[in-house]
Amino acid sequence: MAEEKKILRKPGVCIPWEEKVKELPTILGDEEIVRKKWEDIDALGYVYIWQCLLSF
Amino acid sequence: MGTDTEQLYQARMKRYVTAMRNGKPDMIPIRPFVAEFTAKYAGYTCQEVTHDYDKAFAAARKCAAEFDWDAVVGNMVYVWTGLTEAIGTRYYAVPGIHISANTGFQYLEPSEENAFMKAEEYDQLIEDPTGFLFNVWLPRISRDVSAMDEPTSMRNNLSFLKGGMAMLSYFNAFGAQAALLRSESGTVSAISGILKAPLDIIADKMRGYLGLVNDLMERPKKVMAACEALIPHLTHVALSGADPDKNVPIGFWMHRGCVPFVTMEHFHKFYWPTLKPIIEEIWSHGHQVLFYAEGNWNAHLDSFAELPAGSIVYHVDKADIFETHKKIGHKFCLSGGISNTLLSFGTPQEVRQCCKKVIDGVARDGGYILDAEAIMQDDTNVENIRAMTEFTREYGAY
Repeated sequence: MAEEKKILRKPGVCIPWEEKVKELPTILGDEEIVRKKWEDIDALGYVYIWQCLLSF
Repeated sequence: MGTDTEQLYQARMKRYVTAMRNGKPDMIPIRPFVAEFTAKYAGYTCQEVTHDYDKAFAAARKCAAEFDWDAVVGNMVYVWTGLTEAIGTRYYAVPGIHISANTGFQYLEPSEENAFMKAEEYDQLIEDPTGFLFNVWLPRISRDVSAMDEPTSMRNNLSFLKGGMAMLSYFNAFGAQAALLRSESGTVSAISGILKAPLDIIADKMRGYLGLVNDLMERPKKVMAACEALIPHLTHVALSGADPDKNVPIGFWMHRGCVPFVTMEHFHKFYWPTLKPIIEEIWSHGHQVLFYAEGNWNAHLDSFAELPAGSIVYHVDKADIFETHKKIGHKFCLSGGISNTLLSFGTPQEVRQCCKKVIDGVARDGGYILDAEAIMQDDTNVENIRAMTEFTREYGAY
């Protein structure tokens, strides 16, 4: 498994959009839609790991 | 939803919220935290309600429908072991698998040498708490998740897939459960969201209690930095699960941060300075926190009294509730204080006497919610629960 590079992760975030967008080609459409959906679903990953710690 | 049931719900919500704001409602709200008791009452085993959340929800609703309670937790058994087994979680003894089907689930704390976080790993946690949880902690607590230096596997991949889908399913079911409690029996869902203190979570899930108390002596700066690193995340998780209507409190489960588990010096140096700002931040958003003070936290009431009036509801377990009331009752609503020993092994008359003593001592001016000292399990006697409920309804009217 590849080692995870060091990222500053704020609360609610696993992979920040600022990191993800570097992997993408120039976005031809509305970047805001892509960003928002990335962040919404990324937040579920955050919920998963912190609820594993706190609730289960 | 029947109009009568909705009116009952509204009346109960008003009663519950008024008491939590330290006011005097029409009568004392009853908010019993009933866990495996619900299984016993509904005719299920501990295995059934722990492993099948539909049965746990059904049992909670049956109790809510048949007892005159104002608020309950949708599933106080809470840990759904179907989910934890899908992830491969190591730290549970699961009813029907590792222990008898008639025994409630148990937490297993690993030995110091097998702690889920090593003493030399504080810096990783401090630098990136979320990354540490995914990359180091989760592979240790799961039988299936691969460590970063191990090849991945189907079991690894499935753990995330099944675990994620199961968690979504479970959490979504709580919304439906709250709606059913409201429409079927007019019962309020008592809490929303979860909080644990930074020092507690390091002991509970990372270093173990013995590991943590060693660290408090041997590497105190690392412990403090780790607690500080956890603050924004624990605050975020608490707020993200809070009641959007700001009626019911966030549940805060207090474990081993008090004397004598830690020294008074350690409480003042580590536990309280890294918890207080979380409570203050949550309160600045308009949410109360339910301090579920398991054990006896009365040595720390002066610290809790520093919090803004009304910012917390304080639940009393084994502590002297009359002393608690004297020290912080002017600022915060109290709950609890009804002996679990009597509820399990006493007579209905003894339970009524206990309720009377507590009501007379702490509830005269409102600001009290009736509940047992601790979460009620399947040793709780049904007739005693009935006596507690009926007596409080008769005697607890203002």
